[in-house]
Amino acid sequence: MKALILKDIYVIWRQMKYFLVMILIFSALPSGFNNAFAVVYAAMLPYTALAYDERSKWDQLAAVMPYSTRDIVLGKYVFGWLCIGAAAVLSLLFQAVLALLGSRAFAPAMMAMAALGGLCILAISLPVMFRFGVEKGRMAMFLVIFLVCGTAGAIASIAASGDAAKFASQGAALVILLIAAVVLTAVSIPLSQRFYWKRMG
Amino acid sequence: MNAIELSHICKDFGSFAIQDLTLAVPTGTICGLVGENGAGKSTTIRLLCGALRPDSGTASVLGVDVSSPEFLAAKEDIGVVLDEAYFPESLNAVQVGKILAATYRRWDQSLYEGYLKRFDLPGNKQFKDYSRGMRMKLAIAAALSHHPKLLVLDEATAGLDPIVRDEILDIFNDFTREEDHSILISSHILSDLEKLCDYIAFLHQGRLLFCEEKDRLLEEYGIFSDTTAQLECLLPEAIVAREPNGYGGVRALVRRELAPVGWQLEPASVEDIILFLVKGAKQA
Repeated sequence: MKALILKDIYVIWRQMKYFLVMILIFSALPSGFNNAFAVVYAAMLPYTALAYDERSKWDQLAAVMPYSTRDIVLGKYVFGWLCIGAAAVLSLLFQAVLALLGSRAFAPAMMAMAALGGLCILAISLPVMFRFGVEKGRMAMFLVIFLVCGTAGAIASIAASGDAAKFASQGAALVILLIAAVVLTAVSIPLSQRFYWKRMG
Repeated sequence: MNAIELSHICKDFGSFAIQDLTLAVPTGTICGLVGENGAGKSTTIRLLCGALRPDSGTASVLGVDVSSPEFLAAKEDIGVVLDEAYFPESLNAVQVGKILAATYRRWDQSLYEGYLKRFDLPGNKQFKDYSRGMRMKLAIAAALSHHPKLLVLDEATAGLDPIVRDEILDIFNDFTREEDHSILISSHILSDLEKLCDYIAFLHQGRLLFCEEKDRLLEEYGIFSDTTAQLECLLPEAIVAREPNGYGGVRALVRRELAPVGWQLEPASVEDIILFLVKGAKQA
């Protein structure tokens, strides 16, 4: 699986550079939506890698190499988790620097919510991609974009609630998102494995 | 032991089907898989590599059942070059080497680098900027650099210039010097297969028409080139297929054992045999 994750990192390395710049810009903007968007958007990077795979028919080549279906599918999830984690840490560090400079408030809870939201999006959309492929799964792509923007908006509005309500609502949202991410991922991985296995039929 | 054994394999895609395919490639030999476009060569290769599941029948490679969990480990011993299935296009040869080093336990980085040098492949050029010939060379370098026991090559010499092709055929020949090394190669360049192979397997419309030793095949058939009247003297079953010879006469592939003793037949090449067999199948 390590080889497959390495391959995905190499494949989207060029986009990653632009993505890193985007994270920094979005994290610096004084807007909850933009701050959350920078992290949630990382959940879309595995689709870029999948699109490259599809274009070069890498899945056919991978099927004759010593990779199991489990490795191929789980590799995409782990890659997605790494992207989301890296985006969250980077965004958080940048925001901490800006907070120290006194230009804005530090909101780690919002970043945690954004990361969990990203995990949920990944868990919902990857099975669709493994079932239909990126080309045929364009409708699913719209769903992903809708989920990305919707999640970022929802997190921003929770973050923007009043001080008294803030702690309670953020705490509840974090717990709900954590449970949702765990449950959705637990269902999503075996489903993706089954879809991929069938598609490679 | 056979390096490859396919037994009564069937795979139906609706518009095309592999039908009752039984094929054995003995260990230590090179088998050429020939057939027209769409005859089922690539499908056969994908079936024996476990990339496709058959509807019925069994496949085993290097003594391991392809459908068993143990086949995953056996893939370490198989080097595969697929036609039109490549590494993602944004990668370069150096990155491919790093990925494959993390994939194969017996990956030999110095051997890989040696092939890159030998094939004049730039390490830092993106795969999308490679010509088809360069892509095939990289795929061959990758397939050889983990010390496989079996090479499965789907149109691996297509797109290569004659000089490089000849060099690669020498590499394949060297590969089978080890007695437990075998090759299955599909190609449209029949002269390459004639040079390289011990066995020729001929697929036509999803069916295996024959798999025979090349030398026996060359002994079995001869080319007749003379008048139609003379050809008609032969038993009908001796004539596989015929075509005008361009000089008002006829050229035909003839089974030597059914031709009268003393008949002058030219030696047939593998290309002649396959082309006439396809014509014969279409005329039938």
